[in-house]
Amino acid sequence: MSRLLQDGGPPGPAPDGKEWKKTSKDVNGHPEEHWILVDVDDGGPSWPARDQMKVLNRDIQRIDGADKVTGAAVYSHDVRLEGMLYGAVLPSSIPQGTYTLDLDAARAIDGVEVAQDIAGGEVRYLGQAIAAVAGITPDHARDGLAALGVELEPGEWALTKEQALAEGAPSIGRRGNRREGRARGDIDSAQSAIEGSAAVVEAEYKLPVQHHVCLETHGVVVDYKGGGEATVYASTQGTFSVSGDAAEILGLKEPDVTALVEHMGGGFGSKFGLDIPGDIACQLSKETGRPVHLLLDRKGEFSMVGNRSAGWQRVKAGCDASGKLLGMQAEIETYGGLGRGSNPGLPYIYDVEAYSRVQASVMMNTDSSRAMRAPGHPQASFAMESVVDELAYEVGVDPLEVRKLNLSDPVYHRQLDRVAAEIGWSLHENKTMPGSGDGWTATGIGFAVATWGGGGRPVCQVEVKISSDGSLAVEVGTQDLGTGVRTYVAAIVAEEFGLSVSDVTPRIGSTRYGAANASGGSVTTACLAPSVKSAAWAARRAFLAKIGAARGVDPGQLSCSGGGVVDHSDEAGGLSWSEACALLPAEGLSERGKWDHKLAGNGVHGAQAAKVEVDLKTGAVQVLEMVAVQDCGLPLNHLALRSQLNGGMIQSLGYALLEERVLDPELGLNLNANMEDYKIPGSMEIPLMKAIVDEDDTRQETIGMAEAAVIPGAAAIANAVFNACGARVRELPLTPDRVLAAMGRI
Amino acid sequence: MTLLVNGEERKVVIEPRTTLLDALRIRLEDPLTGAKPVCERGTCGACTVLMDGEPVCSCLVLAADAEGHEITTVEGLAPKGELNPVQRAMCKHDGMMCGFCTPGITVTLTAYLEENPGASREEIKEALSGNYCRCGTYPHVFEAALEAGSELKEGK
Repeated sequence: MSRLLQDGGPPGPAPDGKEWKKTSKDVNGHPEEHWILVDVDDGGPSWPARDQMKVLNRDIQRIDGADKVTGAAVYSHDVRLEGMLYGAVLPSSIPQGTYTLDLDAARAIDGVEVAQDIAGGEVRYLGQAIAAVAGITPDHARDGLAALGVELEPGEWALTKEQALAEGAPSIGRRGNRREGRARGDIDSAQSAIEGSAAVVEAEYKLPVQHHVCLETHGVVVDYKGGGEATVYASTQGTFSVSGDAAEILGLKEPDVTALVEHMGGGFGSKFGLDIPGDIACQLSKETGRPVHLLLDRKGEFSMVGNRSAGWQRVKAGCDASGKLLGMQAEIETYGGLGRGSNPGLPYIYDVEAYSRVQASVMMNTDSSRAMRAPGHPQASFAMESVVDELAYEVGVDPLEVRKLNLSDPVYHRQLDRVAAEIGWSLHENKTMPGSGDGWTATGIGFAVATWGGGGRPVCQVEVKISSDGSLAVEVGTQDLGTGVRTYVAAIVAEEFGLSVSDVTPRIGSTRYGAANASGGSVTTACLAPSVKSAAWAARRAFLAKIGAARGVDPGQLSCSGGGVVDHSDEAGGLSWSEACALLPAEGLSERGKWDHKLAGNGVHGAQAAKVEVDLKTGAVQVLEMVAVQDCGLPLNHLALRSQLNGGMIQSLGYALLEERVLDPELGLNLNANMEDYKIPGSMEIPLMKAIVDEDDTRQETIGMAEAAVIPGAAAIANAVFNACGARVRELPLTPDRVLAAMGRI
Repeated sequence: MTLLVNGEERKVVIEPRTTLLDALRIRLEDPLTGAKPVCERGTCGACTVLMDGEPVCSCLVLAADAEGHEITTVEGLAPKGELNPVQRAMCKHDGMMCGFCTPGITVTLTAYLEENPGASREEIKEALSGNYCRCGTYPHVFEAALEAGSELKEGK
């Protein structure tokens, strides 16, 4: 029989990172039960309980904030190298045809070092790079462009769906201009369900091309002087997506090309790989044997590096008298230029048992669409949330309740109730029919929800290094798009060691560090944070083992806490951080971490509400307030999360009210390829905003959320406009003319 | 010519067409790359610097016209390495994401709040109406500006 030495519970509160465990111990041949301290994460790393966290799950100031507000942060655009040339690219002003170039005049300019054909005499899309030059200053490069002799032979092009599908239309895709996607669902059951409905909506929803408008344009600086090595300073979302292509063009081996991404000025899904400007920069660098700086100008940025695909959706849907969706038929077309565009399909997030859909993409002679923050989702959300809203008003049931009725996941119910409470829905007058305002203006509220994956996988290789001088560094090649990656990389390590964020040096943005995922699909947090945690956990154990050995103490009696090492075997025991590190061997200590699935989750929701004021005379819409409630598993940095939520809402406000590429369909001119005619939200458009992290999500797993944040806003705004004044605008952006037309005023 | 930048006389070789932005970022021997080229036509405010204390889009000012004027770039706002109240508040409230618009916003706010420390949220929005941010950092920038304004007001 064992004998309990200490009756009752554990002897006292456990220190940070430890818990009391009852165990048996042999004392002079007699087994005895003891309480001992063990690492909470004895079976491997796990996130500490949220209320135990000292660094994470709080507002953490951006670790590179001071660099950004002083101009010290160096972006690719800011790199200056000895002998560096500045490149510039000429985009095609016709959408299809052939051209001939006379490069001699450009090459003859003193200070223009190279001029090259890029597209081989053939143009496939409006804005395609056809020639490039490099000179000793950007002015010289522009001179070179101006001196290029360009003879364009316009061919035949299609810039609209009608043009692309007309008889005798030029052949754009190898498999025709219209590519059918997979049909889903069952059309017969959908039709009969719709026939038996109490209310039916049949409508078309149209979406424009939206541009990413990264403030730092796409491009790179290639540091290559003709030797066996090169460095590429890339404005990219994927540090490790650049070197391979650069090596191929430069005739080098991939390991001999280093990619660096210290800071980058916005990507939003459009910056992966070496890309068009990087490809050209490498060609120019190879030709001249000199470093080349090639960041697109603003016109080029609007011309050749992607956009959110336009789209068209025709929906017929019916519900019963309570608003329960019974059936839906959808036809979806995506317009991605030379690309396919994207749409995740209808009925998107909503539960509709009897549905059918067909989906196709129509090709045109415009630049290929690219991923843009939640590709396809805002498009699908706009159509589906409009349909749900239209049916709710048809049957005269609160659209908030109709949403909950058609969403089985209780998380949506919780989040919708929260945004409704925050925006004042219960006090709002017009819940089941639109208002009419006071004759001058009308105010309305609308809702929408989102979904996203945001899960991780094993790809990041993270190293945590502790030196005997007390420095603590974490290295991984990942990139910080402005989401705050650099900050949480340091913060996770700080949490593990009981230190402050400023005690940890994060080193990221280089292929010389461990591998990392490219930042697309909001996967970075779930890929990277668990890997950082694992490395920090392994490093802490190794650290305490060394300290324990040096002091002759069982490492189990040591913990990292309060900025030092606590020795629980010795009441007076304790070491400052620098005293502890001084016990390390001269070479210090280094541990790597692997991704651990227990630390990462997958799947987020998100609800948003918008309150708008419609000017009934002019049709102008002003957003008064936006609220977002967003789950993300374990919140690492609340401050950065709110920044991402605000950013998502603001980009969706632009999509709802302002943003649309305008092409002349005959001449093929891009009419608003600049920042005064292509409007993005500015300070005057910004409403009162509430960005709320859903802390009722208790999953102790990290999950990405940034893309979910951009999905529901546009639909919520459109629904709010209807709620305000009865204007159902089925085409984005909701320009004043469209609002007036929907009100029947023009 | 000589540019008076951040309190220092800097020799720089320019062409008549060289903008102040290019002179700072490219032509200076030790370039100042804080001001950013974004729209390069006076729309976005990312290249904002102070000329005799007034914010200007440096992409719209010829370098030659800047001669004899006192130019302050974002690098010159914290000459001794100590952040000014706007910079501190921008860090505290996360008034930045990718950070490419941040120098322009910081310079604009520094000049504006010096003169109008008691500015309201609406007035701050107007003051920033020439500074675009694509990441959508505005709400946090407004919070930072309000806090920096009250700090400046107390200090006066």
